[in-house]
Amino acid sequence: MRLTVALSKGRLMAGTEALFSSVGLGFPPQDTRRLIVEAGDLRFLFIKDMDVPVYVEYGVADVGVCGSDVLLEAGSDVLVPLDLGYGRCRMVVAAPPERGFGGGGEWPPALRVATKYARVAREFFEGRGLSTEIVALQGSVEIAPSLGLSDCIVDMVETGRTLRENGLVVVEEIAATSARLVVNRASDHLNRTGIAALLDRLKAGLGVAATLQNVDRGA
Amino acid sequence: MRARLQLPQGASCFALEEARRRRAIEARVVSVFGGWGYQEIIPPLFDEAVTFDPSLASKLYTFTGREGTTLALRPDFTSLVAKIAAGRLAHVEAPLRLYYSGEVVRYEPPRAGRQSEFHQMGLEFLGGEGPAADLEILAIAIECLEALGVAEFVLAIGHAGVLTPLLDEAGLTSDDSRRAAVEGLGRRDPKAVGQALEGARGSETARRGLVGLAHDHGIRQSLDASRAAFAGIDRALLALSELDLIIEALNEAGLQGRVTIDLSESRGLDYYTGLVFRIYGRGLGFDLGGGGRYDSLLGRFGRPMKAIGFMLSLDRLALLVERLGGAASDEAPAASVQGPTLGDSVRDARVLRARGERVLFGGRP
Repeated sequence: MRLTVALSKGRLMAGTEALFSSVGLGFPPQDTRRLIVEAGDLRFLFIKDMDVPVYVEYGVADVGVCGSDVLLEAGSDVLVPLDLGYGRCRMVVAAPPERGFGGGGEWPPALRVATKYARVAREFFEGRGLSTEIVALQGSVEIAPSLGLSDCIVDMVETGRTLRENGLVVVEEIAATSARLVVNRASDHLNRTGIAALLDRLKAGLGVAATLQNVDRGA
Repeated sequence: MRARLQLPQGASCFALEEARRRRAIEARVVSVFGGWGYQEIIPPLFDEAVTFDPSLASKLYTFTGREGTTLALRPDFTSLVAKIAAGRLAHVEAPLRLYYSGEVVRYEPPRAGRQSEFHQMGLEFLGGEGPAADLEILAIAIECLEALGVAEFVLAIGHAGVLTPLLDEAGLTSDDSRRAAVEGLGRRDPKAVGQALEGARGSETARRGLVGLAHDHGIRQSLDASRAAFAGIDRALLALSELDLIIEALNEAGLQGRVTIDLSESRGLDYYTGLVFRIYGRGLGFDLGGGGRYDSLLGRFGRPMKAIGFMLSLDRLALLVERLGGAASDEAPAASVQGPTLGDSVRDARVLRARGERVLFGGRP
């Protein structure tokens, strides 16, 4: 049974290609515009990153690779057996420093939050007992506070440069994120041998020792 | 102004071929239930909200009764069946073999092949004890899928009695940390399980065992490997030996291809006390149903007895059967009836109907 792998042509692509190639799993060439490509024993689907957990939850793909930020936002019922380690980022709340948010400071009573991650933002602030108005944007979230569209933003940061250049500072970290392998529940049982073999090869590529160490540290 | 045509989000409606296919599936499943000696129970559409499992409380559609009691549309059948068995059916001697088929509603957005309103077909073996009852339920579940022509399916089975002692021995005392560990296991996420165990001071074997269930196929899927991993945790070993007995009997019956072990399967530990399972069929990404043993529920209603049951989702089975191209109509087309007078038409139609034929009444001469 040929397994179907859902990937996004985004920032995780290079890491995924390096990992798959290093353990001898096929990987499709990048010069094609086809969205369904077979390579080696696998069939690859190239889709939007936010859609990866959806394709896997519905079983259209057996496995997929996406950032844990996407998993937090999608809330899909999928298995997440492997942290692939690359694509490390932080999901943060950022605001103009003059607002004085964070560090025990006051939040305004009705906080306006601009973000691509509406669910993550809502849950985070609800956990603080704050009522929020979520301004759902598709991108360039960083300019929202300076234009008066929102009080703060919830977004991913890698180096923090974009934040700085748009006059924002990190006030709270919500989660540290990285690339995850996700697996469909039914496929995990119906393609047990294939899934287990794929997992074992990827673990070998990552170094099993490192994985177990992470587990023991509860990282 | 034209009336709105849209149904509320989550409401279900089926018509024509779709409705026929669902009823055909239901008839086959129900006939399997009956064939194993189960009798139908038609529970009420609503009951007092407190009857239902607390884990469903946030998903209830509630309303207020005339006397001011909070009532709820049924979100599942098991609690209702248990309550009726302890009340109206108190005089009927156990064991009771009961089946049901009907709609339930849960306040949750449509997702993964079902609406807020969906249809469950299931059975409860009240007073069913020991491996014999467990095997009966598994055999019935297997036959239901065979009867529907689902060629490739598997029952993933686990045991609530494996996880509970591991959580205890690992030193997870707070409800939050236990829930986090079980949720992590449910998602097969070794990181989340590791995080839940942070600060737990219990046995090293139990802690390693829990993380092992998340990341090691051997421990999760093989009784031998798990026995070695949980050495010294007697209650877990006892549960494993119960599973062993069941697997051995299934093998003897030639059903080994239909089951697979998944010890991380928990399905809600507050409720299940023994065998648990979920059913998967090739062609659909989510489970078709599942069940397990719940020995403490009947005690809540004052008639303590052991019990096991399972249910199938008609909505998901219909999706799968449609994809597999099954349950097609085998009925002959209806004969058109049109006599020289209206009276002739009626008479001719009645003659055909008396022979059991399907008619399409033309009526007008």
